[in-house]
Amino acid sequence: MMKLLESRLRRSLLFSLFLLLLSVSAHAGEKAPQGVQLSIGTILASNESDDFDAKLSKMKKQLEVIKYSSYRLVKEESQKVPWNGNALFEIPGGRTLAVMPQEYRNSRVSLKVRLQEGEKPLLDTTVRIRNRGNFLLGGPAHEGGVLILSISATVQ
Amino acid sequence: MKTNCETVKNSLGAWLDGELGHADAEEIRRHVEGCPACSGERRRLERVQVALRGVLETESSRVAFEPFWDGVRRRISEERPRQARLWEWARPAFYPQRLAWAVPVAIVFLLAIFSLVQYAPGWRWGVNRGNVAAVDSIDGHGFNVAVLRESKTKTTVIWLFESQEEDDEASGEPTAKEPSF
Amino acid sequence: MDLSDWELVQRCQNGDVAAFQELVARYYRKVYMVVLGILNHRDDAMEVAQEAFFRAYRSIQGFKGGSAFYTWLYRIAVNLSIDFQRRQKRGPTELRETMDEAVDNTEGASSANDPFLDLQSKELGQRLVAAINELTPDHRAVIVMRAVEGLSYKDIGRMLGCSEGTVMSRLHYARKKLQEKLGPYL
Repeated sequence: MMKLLESRLRRSLLFSLFLLLLSVSAHAGEKAPQGVQLSIGTILASNESDDFDAKLSKMKKQLEVIKYSSYRLVKEESQKVPWNGNALFEIPGGRTLAVMPQEYRNSRVSLKVRLQEGEKPLLDTTVRIRNRGNFLLGGPAHEGGVLILSISATVQ
Repeated sequence: MKTNCETVKNSLGAWLDGELGHADAEEIRRHVEGCPACSGERRRLERVQVALRGVLETESSRVAFEPFWDGVRRRISEERPRQARLWEWARPAFYPQRLAWAVPVAIVFLLAIFSLVQYAPGWRWGVNRGNVAAVDSIDGHGFNVAVLRESKTKTTVIWLFESQEEDDEASGEPTAKEPSF
Repeated sequence: MDLSDWELVQRCQNGDVAAFQELVARYYRKVYMVVLGILNHRDDAMEVAQEAFFRAYRSIQGFKGGSAFYTWLYRIAVNLSIDFQRRQKRGPTELRETMDEAVDNTEGASSANDPFLDLQSKELGQRLVAAINELTPDHRAVIVMRAVEGLSYKDIGRMLGCSEGTVMSRLHYARKKLQEKLGPYL
């Protein structure tokens, strides 16, 4: 009887070890991500109308804090970039947005972001956002309104 | 029921115990009465029962009531504290055969918690941090910058005021382009 | 006291320890007998039998009279014994020295007239005890409950939480094993 119990315990411990190894290897894959998928949504916000672009419906709650009366999605762009690589996005008004994913730690992606107009830097910031999360960068004037950039990152 | 010695032997115990249906019992009885081998088998079975009962009855007749009751009463008066009873209740969980399954279950549970933290980053030990971003550094290169948090989704908003700081001091009113947060 | 078991139980439930003492007096030997049959060890059987009564006392408030008190008590004792036996692994039994007396009591007049039969019976008893020791707790329980209490397969199954079929097959197996061990002594 004891032999049977011992063998059962041994089997369950082996199975547990197997589960553990499986999970470690799965998480190991995650811990060494290949790069980051960056997505930039360029939104034009103004008070010239009351229109709200249906394509922005998922972001409605996020945009509410800014309190413009109309929002329109101007363009969307995605780029896959390796860690410490530089992704450049063209922003209306002769501007450029440079985003460099630096590291992934505690489920957060660290992004170094620069917004510049021509060669003139407007803003440098380092932001840590959660994987698949986003933040908003707004303010540059454009066509009677302002541009709001939704910057999101998904670890690959 | 087929009543050869083999089948009778297998049913003899149940027959002696009165557990067979009437028809089967009758068949067995007829066979046993006419078969010396099965009859002998019946006697052997009965002897085992009687011997076992005899041994146990003799043993139990030796047990005096007073010492037995003393043992019970001692337990009643010394009723163990709550912790000991709790341990007694929990102890079966540590039997090898239950522990054998408790170990992988515990590991799977821990893995599930770990994965939840990894794959549902908004969930963090019960605290929902939403979409909050941490701003480690910010340089507006002379422009005013505001950092805001949208309350419902906890989205971080970095706002760049394109008018330079000196311009803001000169003008008395906000421009139409500036948002009202 | 000439009260029924249920009346005594109700007095216990009101805190009357003397009523419980009466219940113990009525059933302690029967409980000890079945526990000894399963454990095959006197000291352990004493401990477990006393513990069974203690557990019954502690949970007497929950006894609603759905079954006979003895049936309820018996179930506690059997389950405690099986659990105890599973946790402990005992060596050869201490009961062998009582075989002479036990067999003398059961054989009675017939053995007094036949010395050879008398000797055979004593050996049978010793072998029987040793053979019981080799059975698992579950097999011991069914054979003891049947031999001592004469319980039906249905009642045994209910007490042990198994089907009548399982009781039947365990009994058949246990008896077969005992007969193999006891062989010429039967």
